[in-house]
Amino acid sequence: MPRSCSRATETRTLRTETVITGLGTIGPCGHGREALAAALAAGNPAASEVDRGAGLHREDGARLAALVGERDVSRWVAPADARRMSFPSKLVVAAARMALAEAGIGATEAGGPRTGVYLSTTFGTSLSTEKLLRQILLEGAEAAQPFYFSECVANAPAAQLAIAVGARGPNVTLTQRESGPLLAVARGAQAVREGRVDRALAGAFEELTPLLHALLDRFGALARAEGALAEMPRPFDRRRDGFLAGEGATLLVLEREDTARARGARALARVGWSGAAFDATASVSDWGDGHAPLAAVLRAGLDEVPGGAAGVAAIVSGASGSRWGDRLEARVLRGAWGEVPLPPVLVPKAVVGEYGGGILTSGLLALEGAPFGPTPGFAERDPEVGVAPHGGGALEIPPRVLLTGLASGGAAGWLVLERAS
Amino acid sequence: MPGADPGPGPSRPVAVTGLGAVSPLGWGLGPLWDGLRSGQTAIGPFDRFDHSGHRTHVAAQVDLAAEPERPRGKPLRLSLADRFAVAAAREAVAQAAIDFGRCAERTGVFFGTSTGGMIETEAYLETLFAAMAGRGKPPSTSLLASQQNNGPGDAVARDLGIGGPVQTVSAACASGAMAIGDALRAVRRGDVDVAIAGGSDSLCRLTYGGFNALRAVDERACRPFRGDRAGLSLGEGAAVLVLEPLERALARDARPLAFVAGEAATCDAHHMTAPHPEGMGAAEAIRGALADAQLDPSEIDFVNAHGTGTPLNDAAECAALAAVFGDRAPDLPVTSTKALVGHLLGSAGALEAVVTILCLLEGEVHPMPDDGASDPGIRLRLVLGRPLRLARARHALSTSLAFGGANAALVFTRHGDQDPAH
Repeated sequence: MPRSCSRATETRTLRTETVITGLGTIGPCGHGREALAAALAAGNPAASEVDRGAGLHREDGARLAALVGERDVSRWVAPADARRMSFPSKLVVAAARMALAEAGIGATEAGGPRTGVYLSTTFGTSLSTEKLLRQILLEGAEAAQPFYFSECVANAPAAQLAIAVGARGPNVTLTQRESGPLLAVARGAQAVREGRVDRALAGAFEELTPLLHALLDRFGALARAEGALAEMPRPFDRRRDGFLAGEGATLLVLEREDTARARGARALARVGWSGAAFDATASVSDWGDGHAPLAAVLRAGLDEVPGGAAGVAAIVSGASGSRWGDRLEARVLRGAWGEVPLPPVLVPKAVVGEYGGGILTSGLLALEGAPFGPTPGFAERDPEVGVAPHGGGALEIPPRVLLTGLASGGAAGWLVLERAS
Repeated sequence: MPGADPGPGPSRPVAVTGLGAVSPLGWGLGPLWDGLRSGQTAIGPFDRFDHSGHRTHVAAQVDLAAEPERPRGKPLRLSLADRFAVAAAREAVAQAAIDFGRCAERTGVFFGTSTGGMIETEAYLETLFAAMAGRGKPPSTSLLASQQNNGPGDAVARDLGIGGPVQTVSAACASGAMAIGDALRAVRRGDVDVAIAGGSDSLCRLTYGGFNALRAVDERACRPFRGDRAGLSLGEGAAVLVLEPLERALARDARPLAFVAGEAATCDAHHMTAPHPEGMGAAEAIRGALADAQLDPSEIDFVNAHGTGTPLNDAAECAALAAVFGDRAPDLPVTSTKALVGHLLGSAGALEAVVTILCLLEGEVHPMPDDGASDPGIRLRLVLGRPLRLARARHALSTSLAFGGANAALVFTRHGDQDPAH
């Protein structure tokens, strides 16, 4: 049986378990998990108009995105510090401080050599990159501003976070598209479990500019209006034609369960099994059809989870409305569960768009028993897919949820979160 | 000989059984080693893109005309960084003689890059911006297919038919070293049986313009640790190592070339572009890697330093080496591969890992050009002008210090008659 996974369940002692004790999130629904929870409960997509004024978009192209509307983070990042940061860096620092506050970790305790940072992003700090490229390509080489360069590297927000909280442990930024957020959290949890760090600040960020939106649209990746059909992502729906691009930042505080308990912190969840694999049938920019090997890896991983697949009471799916990505996701899930019916499949990207932080927050919300409304955009089952997302009914509070992230290009990541008693 | 494989765990010896490289010195290990031994730098005039508007006009570029075999027959649209990565991986896998048909799903790819397919993105945007200004048609989106940082690692996995975990680290100049560290951990844990680890980056206008904006690029070829050093020189290329448990390698009659004995990563948490002046984070990374390798500093035979040639980096790195190696630092042989191939950014740590292993295998440390004045503040035994014979060298250190204060250190041990795990 192929197995490419971390063995989180090998030694299930309290001492070595990794728990999440804090969550901070700033996204298209607003600041904090409550804003996202409200949008998920209502089944209300957080879509707003993208600035198409630069003329970069196609005339009949996508017009909507899940953008961060509430951009003032001065509650968390002092203006004097913020002026040295790009927007994603500010989001990451703000979300981390929000998470640390929930975890009950003060500013003087947050950093040090035993605190690591593990982030994920697909497009990095898009605006800094774009501005620097515009300067170099359009205004002349010597027009380039140093600030944009130092902020355009993918690890800039992770570095800014390290500086902000004094985190001198490993500083890692993963760029593995849709699977990245789950890999980053798994990586942070592993570092805690192995004793390499005492605390990990793990999560994801994304920044969406009008140019990036236009490029994604030109690439055919985004949902568009088609005849009478409004522009919206339709995960698992027969009529799906692309995703809703999104942005935001979500940070988690990870630490050892015994340490958290000793200081009286509330554990929001325990990090269980995590796994990763690759579908070599995928093209550079799309999903493949190698569902059977991926399903085998997932099934083997679920065998390590208490109760097996049946022990997973909800799936927080990375389905986004993409034509081939959702098909692969459905086939992998069905293959992993086999004859056993799938548990409820929650699809937060229908609400918060394609940005990895939404799925992390949604996983924790599911474990907390937050209500999930009907999946917006889903109306017609796709026989090729055979999976219907959650319809909005009441859910039992699951003891364990599976988060999925299948990336265009072939990478796959999975993460199981468990309710911490 | 080592005893029985202790199984997954921190003491499991992890062998390197394959190496591959694409560098400004050529495609493959042969041209790389010959070029390094010569001490002649590959940094000079280049034509990858128009740099006439810049203050500086030197870099180290890969000769694309010498590319041995472009990946064909698959629906791939590869960036330059992808092509470098695939070529290096093919060379490494050929040396390791691994049949992935048997272990594809137990093989992982751990890659590092700083900018992935940025040069292709630049070409796309330049054409798009021109079209928006009424000059020509919008470009084909196929140019954008592999612009993201996951491109090189994914391309390697796709080319080799890998089914295990694939992970790309983008931690600027420490990316490649961190990827190798991740691969080491994954093999030790037993998450994978084989790890393909490395990095790839190509020259692009973003980094050339950006480092120039910081005034961090030397107008001449860089001169790491020298008194008149005035900045770095950019380079490009890829490097790949094949990692597997020693016992697995021996069981299939593969030749272990070396061991990845230890790794560690830290962050300065000090400044976005300047290192900690005393090299505190770098020193912590080196100490961590030595501890992970269960080695005392006195056991390190030479150092392949990050050595960019910027005044601040080299001074901070020297301070870090002095902090760890103490009185021995002035006698410790130190070289910088960047003096010969430029700074490969996200691929630098991977290429320097390959070079460090080649030095252990060949029993000599490659030189830097004997160019420029000495710096009285740099109290290190620099290898200058000609190779330094160190036939009995067993353990070597490679350092990577990145933008944003990310540090990574790797320790390599020559395969011999001593158990690397002690």
